[in-house]
Amino acid sequence: MKRYTLLICLLAVMGWGRVYAQENSEEWFNQANAAYNAGNYESAMTLYEQILASEVESVPLYFNMGNTYYKMREYPMAIYYYEKALKLDPSNEEVQTNLAIANQAIVDEIEPVPQSFIVRGWQNARASLSGDQWAWCSIAAFALLLFALFLFLRSRRMGLRKLGFFAGLVFLLVFGLSVVFAMQLKQASENQNQAIIMSPTVTVKSTPNEISVDLFVLHEGTKVDILETNEGWSKIRIANGSVGWLQADFMRPF
Amino acid sequence: MLCPLWLWAQDDPTLTVSTKKQVMVGERFQVVFEANAEGKNFQAPSFEGFTVVGGPFTSSSSSFSMVNGSMSHTVRCTYTFALQAYQEGTFHVGSATLTVKGKKISSEPFDIKVIPDDGSHAVPSGGGSSSGQGQSQQNTSDPQVSGKDLFIRVIPSKKSVYVGEQVVLTYKLYTKVPVSSLSVERMPSYAGFWTKDITDNNGGSLRQTSEYINGIEYTAAEIQKIVVVPQRSGTLPIDPMIIECIAQIRTESNRQRSMDPFEAFFNDPFFNRNIANVKKELTSQTLNLEVKSLPENGKPASFAGAVGNFNFKSEIDKTELSTNEAFTLTLTVSGTGNVELLQMPTPVFPPDFEVYDPKITMNVNNNVNGLSGTKKAEYLVIPRRAGSFTVPAVEFSYFDPSKGAYQTLSSQPYEIKVEKGKGGDEGSSGGIYASNQEGIKYLGSDIRHIMTGNAHLKPMHTVFFGSAAYFVVLLVLLVLFVILLFVLKKREQLSKDTAANRNRKADKVARGRLKSAAQFLKAKDQDKFYVEMSQALWGYIADKLGIERSKLSMDTVNETMKAKNVPDELTQQFIDTLNSCEFARFAPGSAEAKMDDLYQRGIDVISKAEKVL
Repeated sequence: MKRYTLLICLLAVMGWGRVYAQENSEEWFNQANAAYNAGNYESAMTLYEQILASEVESVPLYFNMGNTYYKMREYPMAIYYYEKALKLDPSNEEVQTNLAIANQAIVDEIEPVPQSFIVRGWQNARASLSGDQWAWCSIAAFALLLFALFLFLRSRRMGLRKLGFFAGLVFLLVFGLSVVFAMQLKQASENQNQAIIMSPTVTVKSTPNEISVDLFVLHEGTKVDILETNEGWSKIRIANGSVGWLQADFMRPF
Repeated sequence: MLCPLWLWAQDDPTLTVSTKKQVMVGERFQVVFEANAEGKNFQAPSFEGFTVVGGPFTSSSSSFSMVNGSMSHTVRCTYTFALQAYQEGTFHVGSATLTVKGKKISSEPFDIKVIPDDGSHAVPSGGGSSSGQGQSQQNTSDPQVSGKDLFIRVIPSKKSVYVGEQVVLTYKLYTKVPVSSLSVERMPSYAGFWTKDITDNNGGSLRQTSEYINGIEYTAAEIQKIVVVPQRSGTLPIDPMIIECIAQIRTESNRQRSMDPFEAFFNDPFFNRNIANVKKELTSQTLNLEVKSLPENGKPASFAGAVGNFNFKSEIDKTELSTNEAFTLTLTVSGTGNVELLQMPTPVFPPDFEVYDPKITMNVNNNVNGLSGTKKAEYLVIPRRAGSFTVPAVEFSYFDPSKGAYQTLSSQPYEIKVEKGKGGDEGSSGGIYASNQEGIKYLGSDIRHIMTGNAHLKPMHTVFFGSAAYFVVLLVLLVLFVILLFVLKKREQLSKDTAANRNRKADKVARGRLKSAAQFLKAKDQDKFYVEMSQALWGYIADKLGIERSKLSMDTVNETMKAKNVPDELTQQFIDTLNSCEFARFAPGSAEAKMDDLYQRGIDVISKAEKVL
């Protein structure tokens, strides 16, 4: 009984801290949504920014901020917040739809490099749940794994023991996959390894140096992968695989 | 040919200019640059203040002459320009340059004074084919018509207008002398204007009126009337119109013109055959129109460039109809202004309506004040679906220059009730709707609406995976599992222990009971003997086989023994013994020998079972 009490106390403390921080923010969120509905995009944005300043985040918050920037015709910022929302929940269909629409409003149209179906399958599978969902999935798989193990160890009947063995193998696989997915998503959200170009027109250079050769020109709203960073310059890669150096000030990482 | 070559270039090359020093406005004159050597690269000065009507006409001549045995060679190159003055004042003409044998020579710059037109520069008509002309040339050196007697003027209806506002330009000829023919030599280009000629062609003859200017009576005739509509703002110049006319004037032979009325009477063309046809070129004044741009302030969204004063109305022929029946919506704009350039407003119909391109008809009247008229747009519309629809009001905006403000007129909205038509493809024949199907029409696309409700906010950078809570949950699960296993193991151990104990002690217990049974046997106590025997057998088999007492019966014993692979013979023997015991127990009065036999069988079967189990 003692260990249950401990667990309940732990969960309660975590939950209470969250509730306390959010009361104001929820209020602001509703006000901001009302302002958005009335077409006051500037004041809606002020309120959303206020929520963000209290160091909280969520898919609805980022999504609504993206919508507000879209309505204000600031497409790069809209794309930035949609991407942030997708990072929290890669499978959210609403966010995907709006991001696709916002991406039609920018200058650059880049043909993405085709990827092998294994990589694509892996990415799609990973994107089907959010990081937290994968973590819970791993816990569920772990619990089921233990149950299967129990069957295998304790059952007197041969059939149940066999079932326990194979089910255990499957759950072990599921557990392993969800741990790997959750780990990858956690890494992606912690290392800000993508960015949106914020300056209207930028020239990508061959080396981290002003006087180096101009490779290609990008425009605001384009998403890039950040490969490395060096003295205010970032090595970037765009969707078609082209790589170059760009001053970090020109973009906003997420 | 024998003389030395050096004589040929005796003179230094020069470039001289010859022209009039004084000209009148509208007069054509020549400027001649003359060089006495062949050169190239002639560059003319810019004739500011004059129009270059022709030129440069280049001519060159060379001549040889022998004087007193010495030969001279003269080269003459001329560059002639025909200029026309159109403005009063003194104008400076710079020097022209010419390169002769690599040397640049230039002419003297000069000034030309342009004086007001007094009509004296009329160009005499050439040829002398007419008798009058011939006579005049005999009698006078140059019969002339004064600019005061014959001139044209352009009269704009307004001098300051807005872009798109119409201005009527009237070109009038004023004359005191008879004019026999008129021909327009050059029309203005009207750059920056839309124009429409609204000259009232009165059967070919000009309408003549008599007008007084500065107290002098003139015969005035409208040559041309033009509506111009400026298309851009700023000061837009309109070039002068140039007209050539032939004036019929009396020549006064050798007499001076006198004001004697009697003489004037007899000098009337009727009496006087000394008539000269004088060709005269008339130039109207340059006109500058101030064109103001339309104010940005208060410009309605529906404004499409209409300037003037308009009325707007809409008409519909029916508002209640059935599907596939057509109705007509007519928009009419009427008023003064540029009806021809007018853009009709477009009504918005519900998407299920089939709308044909509008039929646009126009009726334009040219009157003295400019253009006015009516423009109609007829929309033929066929509703394809039944229902109640609204055709929203159509707005038409125009700029009223007299008020200097925009005006917006609005038609009324129409409610249109469409009922399912009979016949047609709506399926009166009974349920053939296939031809009626159509895909959904998308009217627009937009982003999805914001997410409302709970914001599900959580502190930033809190990833559940890898957090303490995550590991705690996993650990708890694992600990629970281990505890469960441990508890189960322990309990099993415990129950295993009791079963083994019973098994081990079964023989001992049975033998104890058999011993007491033997005592009852000796005492010949039948009842107690059988009870003791029964308990010994049942107890033994229950302990040995691990059967609970409550479930103990012949059948369970039989089944359990079979399950434990006890030989059938032994099982049968055991069951038989049990049966005999039970039977004897409840059927008293049996012999002693029977008791003895049962006792022996009991010992035997337990020993045998002990070996197997």
